[in-house]
Amino acid sequence: MTASLALLLAVAAAYLAAHVFFDWLGRRYLIVSGAEYLVLGVLLGPQLSDILDARIVDSLAPILTLALGWIGTVIGMQFELRKLLAIPARTFRIAFAESALTFATVGGLEFLAGRWLFVSTDIALVLGAVLGAIAVASSGMGVSLVADVFEADTPIMRQLHVSTQINALVAIAIFAVILCVRHQPLPTSRPLTTTEWVAVSIAIGVVGGTLFHVFLGDVYDSDRLFVSLVGGIVMVSGAAMYLRLSPLFSAVMFGMILVNTTNRPEVLIDTVTRVERPFYFVLMLFGGANWRPSGQAWLLPVLLFVVARTAAKIGGSRLAARANGALPELGDKWGAALLGQGRVAVAIGLTYLHQENSFFPNIVFTAAIASIVLTEFLSARATRAVVAVS
Amino acid sequence: MRRLFVLALLLGAMRVIQPLGAGGYGAQALLAFGFLILAAYAAGELAVAIRIPKLVGYLIAGVVFGPSALGTVGTRAIADLSPVSSLAIALIAFIAGVELQWQEVRERGLGLLRVLGTELGISIVTITAFLLLLREHISFLQHGTIVEALAFSIVFAAMAAVHSPAVAIAMLSETRARGPVAKTTLGLVLISDVVIVLLLTLTLAIARALVPPAGANAPALTLGAVAWEVIGAVLIGGILGALVTLYLRFIRRELFLFAIMVAFFGSEIAHLVHVEPLLTLMTTGFVVENVSAPDHSAALRSALERAAAPVFVVFFALAGAGIALPQLARLWPLVLPLALVRAGAIWAGVRLSLGWSGLPRDEVPVLRRHVWTGLLPQAGVAIGLAAVVAQTYPSRGGDMQVLFLALIAVNQAVGPILFRRALDQSGEIPRTEERAAAAETSAIARP
Repeated sequence: MTASLALLLAVAAAYLAAHVFFDWLGRRYLIVSGAEYLVLGVLLGPQLSDILDARIVDSLAPILTLALGWIGTVIGMQFELRKLLAIPARTFRIAFAESALTFATVGGLEFLAGRWLFVSTDIALVLGAVLGAIAVASSGMGVSLVADVFEADTPIMRQLHVSTQINALVAIAIFAVILCVRHQPLPTSRPLTTTEWVAVSIAIGVVGGTLFHVFLGDVYDSDRLFVSLVGGIVMVSGAAMYLRLSPLFSAVMFGMILVNTTNRPEVLIDTVTRVERPFYFVLMLFGGANWRPSGQAWLLPVLLFVVARTAAKIGGSRLAARANGALPELGDKWGAALLGQGRVAVAIGLTYLHQENSFFPNIVFTAAIASIVLTEFLSARATRAVVAVS
Repeated sequence: MRRLFVLALLLGAMRVIQPLGAGGYGAQALLAFGFLILAAYAAGELAVAIRIPKLVGYLIAGVVFGPSALGTVGTRAIADLSPVSSLAIALIAFIAGVELQWQEVRERGLGLLRVLGTELGISIVTITAFLLLLREHISFLQHGTIVEALAFSIVFAAMAAVHSPAVAIAMLSETRARGPVAKTTLGLVLISDVVIVLLLTLTLAIARALVPPAGANAPALTLGAVAWEVIGAVLIGGILGALVTLYLRFIRRELFLFAIMVAFFGSEIAHLVHVEPLLTLMTTGFVVENVSAPDHSAALRSALERAAAPVFVVFFALAGAGIALPQLARLWPLVLPLALVRAGAIWAGVRLSLGWSGLPRDEVPVLRRHVWTGLLPQAGVAIGLAAVVAQTYPSRGGDMQVLFLALIAVNQAVGPILFRRALDQSGEIPRTEERAAAAETSAIARP
């Protein structure tokens, strides 16, 4: 089977499954669609049936990078300052505090486990930081599904919307910084410092966004808009990956610049989100196909990740709400609605998996996909339960 | 001015990024892809400002940023981006099929075959004669007997007679031209695409009989294989068309993604079972257009055009990047007269045949003046045919390929300009306001 045919069949299968089966199932039984593509990818991938063999998976790398960029742009476009300014500061404080607590708890425990299992402090530190970053990410799909089905617009729903966005931003930013810290010097140029690499990561998105506006001008002709967006996202994600930085982070910057510097953000958001779904399918499917069992002691870090993350999300969100005086409004267990993991977790795991000299990439990726498979399906139900209690 | 600024910024960004990176994980191809989309699109808009077609701008951007000139997009990246070209060709064929209505095929099909038959006949005879006349100056004809020279001249002439559906469709999509010249040109290039494959197979078979190829890597071409290539394409295209029609009837969602998927799928299946990919997708589009409800096929057409926009930009930019300037510079004394002879033959063939073609009498005068220009451009398919010949005759075929690619470069650059002018003069390009209204309507119709 050729690579493109494999890609096509996989996307077609996922696409039909999503439309014909899971959309209906999701709305009727509040089951979030997404993790099934990941499972499908594992089943079709080199580890099991080998229908998507290693050669095919490798040859589709540019599409995956593009998918990372596209999803990053969609996430970046959620940060429209005009709208964010209308949200009370307390909502952000709670979201950031919960993110920090989750990162510290999961990262710290994984560091200790890594230190105990693999001895080296450096390795354990990186393992803890990456898993901590992934733990912060939570899927907004369950929240959106509940908001859609029940047309719910309550304070807790608004908090959940903001929290999932901030979780994504914090997770992506931490991971981008980790890549900059661990960036290998290139033989062709002067070694750049971590700060310089962080600046380069941001600059790729900012320059891409600026270039987009210069390119587009004042004319919002639909073809030109689409071509400029495709070109911009492809170039930003390609440049970040080429420099061994995080395409997700640069694309988030790109999305932020676009949405905050245009007169018609709704047109841009509509154009990008319209094509988001196929990229999401591709990311999940080929994420699954990229999975490999780890040769090291993987069970403890993976189990610890799932358990510690659950505890950290519920406990951390409770603490954050209490510290900000929002516990009566949000309830004790509102963090349960943040347990679902999806596109950001798999995107970070996948980027880490393909970094050169990364420590235990298969353990990290296994933890990410295990968490997605265990939590995403039921994230809408958890959200509904939280909303009903509050 | 802004476009030039964009190009300078893009180039500057690439110059900064390239030395810092190390590629891997397909990043280099992706970077080149993004750069090409933006740079070629900006060049296309610059071209419009100086009244030449956008796609010539894309081609020029490809030449300038390609390996022959600035080298911003390298040979490796061009090879990595070849799936984009395949997708573009598939989309082109699909769009072409969706444009064909059964009523029109029935009314004009025979007339178009007559015009094409005459035009191709005259082109092949004239180009063969020209090559034989100058055989002392042509590397692949210099040595060997007159029979060998005749065989290779015919093969070259059959390749040189090919037209470009890609350019015709891209031009009609860019200008939104509607009228007899647009319709007739489109019909001719689409039919010629199928006819040329048969013709080249036939001429190669003659050449193989006269000059058996040395080596074991010559692909075997049999009549059965050729028949399957055509009949199989119609069969598979028909089945795919029926499936697409069912999808449009019962699901009709995410048409943008669906259009790309069908084009990809049709192209891949065609390659797998060795049938003509263009004919497969054309048949698919034709079935959809003529079997499904008018609003369904209109929605699909709109989605297809949208999907094709960035793909066309990169397709033509890659075609430009593939032009080898040093070879063109070396061969121009031969290539320019050859291009003129080909153009003259096409002009004569079209003029001679239109009188007895059976096409509507009132259209004939305008068709006589303008249709030939739409048959000048050459692009993707032609390059593929040259590769087949080079594979059959590695030594002489290689020389033939070099000359042919130089000829394509000339026709690629000049053909679209003349075709755009012809569409303009025949009054088939709507005025700016009408085009804006049409674009708006299509945007509203978009799913």
